[in-house]
Amino acid sequence: MIEAFRLGVFTRGRTLWDGLDFAFGDGTATVIVGPPSSGKTLLLAILRGERRPDAGDVLVSGESLYRGGGDALRAFRAASGCVPERLDADENRTVDALFARSAMMRGKGAEAELKKMKEQLLSMVGLSGTEGVRLSALSASERARAALAAELLRNPKVLFADGTVLAAGGPHAGMLGTLFRMLAGAGNTILAAERRLPPEWAAFAGPGKPVGPFLVHRLPAIPMKGGSA
Amino acid sequence: MKESLSLAWVDWRLAGRTAAVQSLGRFVVLLPLAFAFLALFLSGGIARYLSSQYAVTAMLRQSASPEEAIGLAKKIAALPSVRSADYRDSASSWKEFLLAYPGVESIPGAADNPLPGYIEIRMRHDRFTPPGVEAVLSALKPVELVDKVLAGEESLPRLFKVKRALNVLSLGGFGLLVALFFVTCRLQDRLRGISMSGDIGFLLQHGVPERRMAASRAAGAAAAGFVLAAVATASAAAALHFLLGRYPFLEGVIGTQEELLSLPVGAAAGLFVLMSALLFAAASLLGWAPVRPAGER
Repeated sequence: MIEAFRLGVFTRGRTLWDGLDFAFGDGTATVIVGPPSSGKTLLLAILRGERRPDAGDVLVSGESLYRGGGDALRAFRAASGCVPERLDADENRTVDALFARSAMMRGKGAEAELKKMKEQLLSMVGLSGTEGVRLSALSASERARAALAAELLRNPKVLFADGTVLAAGGPHAGMLGTLFRMLAGAGNTILAAERRLPPEWAAFAGPGKPVGPFLVHRLPAIPMKGGSA
Repeated sequence: MKESLSLAWVDWRLAGRTAAVQSLGRFVVLLPLAFAFLALFLSGGIARYLSSQYAVTAMLRQSASPEEAIGLAKKIAALPSVRSADYRDSASSWKEFLLAYPGVESIPGAADNPLPGYIEIRMRHDRFTPPGVEAVLSALKPVELVDKVLAGEESLPRLFKVKRALNVLSLGGFGLLVALFFVTCRLQDRLRGISMSGDIGFLLQHGVPERRMAASRAAGAAAAGFVLAAVATASAAAALHFLLGRYPFLEGVIGTQEELLSLPVGAAAGLFVLMSALLFAAASLLGWAPVRPAGER
């Protein structure tokens, strides 16, 4: 359970937002929609424990990410996955390299099993055969999907996806919506941030709840047999 | 944090090709450095060569019997500064003189051997110092059997000055090479850190403590440095051993094969390997430049 209380950010002499409350339960998929420059990326960074808010606090399973000794934060980060909006620092890395470092964080796992999982994940996001391709040679849509697939190799308990769905593009938005809902059904927590609600999601996304400049939509989980993604 | 996560080898796992190429480059530099270190340690800089060219000659009295002279030579050889003390009797002395000055025997009145026997004393290269020479001279002078000591004392200060200057030059040159190597390693680590900024940012973002990552990478660099330096030192020692056997004149400049395989040289080589490992670790720590997401910390 991730809870954020009275979050506030003051930047460049003005209040970006203040007094925002959020609660994201285990096994839920949420998309936070906000206009450009509303602070979506910043909000995800705060919820991930990467940027201390100027006001308020974030609690994960009742423990503060910012007021504790750092152990809770590290444990939360280790259990979280993040697909950033931009992958500039990884331009020269291959898709394989993204999987390699994700596998490092994943820890245990036979080489053959990891290889099989990589192929399945790449196939699921429509990127079969791109293992040796550099990110600079991929389109924005392909990069977003490759980064998501690499993160899913670790099966993170909490997944933050910043602008991933719209970057992936229309043909893939429906697939990603189903994937996020299935992950939620398996007990994972999915937090996506987008400029607008993908049209393909309008059919199943609940009505947006306004929180500050954002609209928070819940995606109904698709129950999974066995409870694990 | 998964237990099996080994941050020490993160560079090899995520930037294996770069790490391998850089390690190969480091080995290529370490090899001559190890060779130079072993040669310098064995030779003591220029000391080995100078000490092999220098001898103290103790001219004996005509009255000294060969037994007395041999006994004295043994006592002198036991002095800490002395490498060897060889007795030459009157006949050998005359023979050497005639070889050096052929035709002397034909001069009227020079047919008989007028030369006394003598003891030729060679200094140990590591004791070839003013106090070392002085210790030998002060041990010889009060001996009754010794008529005269020829040690070139008037030119010794100049010789030691040259020795000191050349040693400073050779050690300084070696130190400079090591410093340049260190700076290069540091730059390599920095560049690799920059090229891996995405991976480092990823690991930090996923809960890996920054200090732990820096320390683990340094430990990995030290381990890699240890292996590289050990292989380079062993290769350099093998090459030096071969050269000393192939070109005997090098023994007078660097040392003997037996000395190369001695315990002190082994200990020095071990120290070189350990220092290399530390140098690699320090370069890794100093080159640690993670690119962290803005606003973090």
